[in-house]
Amino acid sequence: MSDKHQNWGWMLAVDFFFAGMGGGMLVIAAVVELFGGGTRMSLLGNLLGPAAMCIGCGFLMLELGKPLRAWRVFMNPKAILTVGAWMMSVAIVSGFIYAAMAIPLNLIFWREWAILGKCLAVVNLVTGLVVATYPGVLLGRLKGRPLWVGPGIMALFMLSSLVTGCALHYLCALLMPVLGTLLASTLTPASALYFLSVVLVPVPDAAIWRVLPGGIAALLLLQLLLWSGYLWVKQSGATAAEAASAQRWISGDLSLAFKGFMVLGTLAPLVLMLLPVEAAPALGAVLVLLGGVTMRLLTIRGGEDRTFLPGEQKFRLRLPTGNEVFLRKNWR
Amino acid sequence: MTRYAMVMDTRRCIGCQSCTVACKIHNELPLDIIYNPVTTIGPTGTFPDLTLSFLPLICMHCDNPPCVDTCPTTASVQREDGIVYVVDSKCVGCLSCIMACPYGARQHNHETGTVSKCDFCKDRLEQGKLPHCVATCHQKARIFGDLHDPDSEVSKLVKNNRTVQLLGELNTDPSVFYIY
Repeated sequence: MSDKHQNWGWMLAVDFFFAGMGGGMLVIAAVVELFGGGTRMSLLGNLLGPAAMCIGCGFLMLELGKPLRAWRVFMNPKAILTVGAWMMSVAIVSGFIYAAMAIPLNLIFWREWAILGKCLAVVNLVTGLVVATYPGVLLGRLKGRPLWVGPGIMALFMLSSLVTGCALHYLCALLMPVLGTLLASTLTPASALYFLSVVLVPVPDAAIWRVLPGGIAALLLLQLLLWSGYLWVKQSGATAAEAASAQRWISGDLSLAFKGFMVLGTLAPLVLMLLPVEAAPALGAVLVLLGGVTMRLLTIRGGEDRTFLPGEQKFRLRLPTGNEVFLRKNWR
Repeated sequence: MTRYAMVMDTRRCIGCQSCTVACKIHNELPLDIIYNPVTTIGPTGTFPDLTLSFLPLICMHCDNPPCVDTCPTTASVQREDGIVYVVDSKCVGCLSCIMACPYGARQHNHETGTVSKCDFCKDRLEQGKLPHCVATCHQKARIFGDLHDPDSEVSKLVKNNRTVQLLGELNTDPSVFYIY
């Protein structure tokens, strides 16, 4: 039988990327709100966190065989996917309500309620952490997928979500005044969106923006070490199926992409974050985002390896794929 | 409490694939879906001491099915008699059950968008008939019955023969036993 549609595709990887990054952004914003002494992350960053989750949900729905039945994923409280769906829904609503508090519009009647901001930050922290971590939990529970099984993948996903969330927050802080200037020059004061040019201004100088590049560098170092350790454990200390699966990443068909992720998506941005050159951290943040997508695409590809039963691979190799000439001519 | 189980006697199986064809025809499966392949193991050994055996594969209808808990829509259902099946009207085609099954027993039907699998011909069971694959096997290599009935053939075969459950280390407790 054909292998098509028997594994998850690239859309789920992209969903994991956007949802995880959005979760990471919510977590960071919440931590700063709760412990930052009155500082907040940028408006753009706070808006893009839940927006990224919405984009992730969109890709998830497109991946489904029956997208119009997507509402059914909320039905089984025992399923990790259901828990993730509920948490993501709460995180999106809570994230947008929190982000809106920085918009100076009378419509946002709750914008001065500081206690609400703190409560929403707590909700964002919990739900953001769950959204950042649950894909790893989902994959780690799949006994038949040797590359994924175990607790390690959960830590890798959470770490990647935090580092990509930090990176996008950093880029948003840089983009804020650029967008504000652009809007101010293109919109008239009478325009409904003109108020955005007033709020999209350079972020106030706060300690968070000075330490963020260093924090991203530390997370990237951790990512470098964790991925190296994860593959080493899989390749050397586990079952034959896990070793074979890890070998694809070390010296097999996925090794080039993995090395690209480790060098360009982790090591290079780590160095750039620490360089005392003005544009270097921004470039590093972009590389972090590209690395995050690559990592998830690689992880989904790695899940193609399953606990095959005796003779099964040989059997499947002999089956038609569906594209043979005689099938196209006679059966369709 | 009934627990349906199947015993595959690999000493009798000749790899004719009649069970595969019977299932495919009676369930009207699309071209690229096979519920119960029969794989070939071997030939192994050195001439003249060669061995060739066949392994009929099927959904294991696990007592601890990883596919049921992972389904977000409750489309994957485990009955009290142990049969695991998919409620097509609830399935959204997320493929999480396919990813969860270590036996490759589930397939995504790209024509309907949902996931399908062997259900031990539960509709035939209600009429007192055997699953198609069991009824078709002329070698009597597939035996079906209630594992919790000590007088059933499956229960006697499991008790009196050397049997194995595939991937038993994963704690899925399959309802399919292999005599070797």
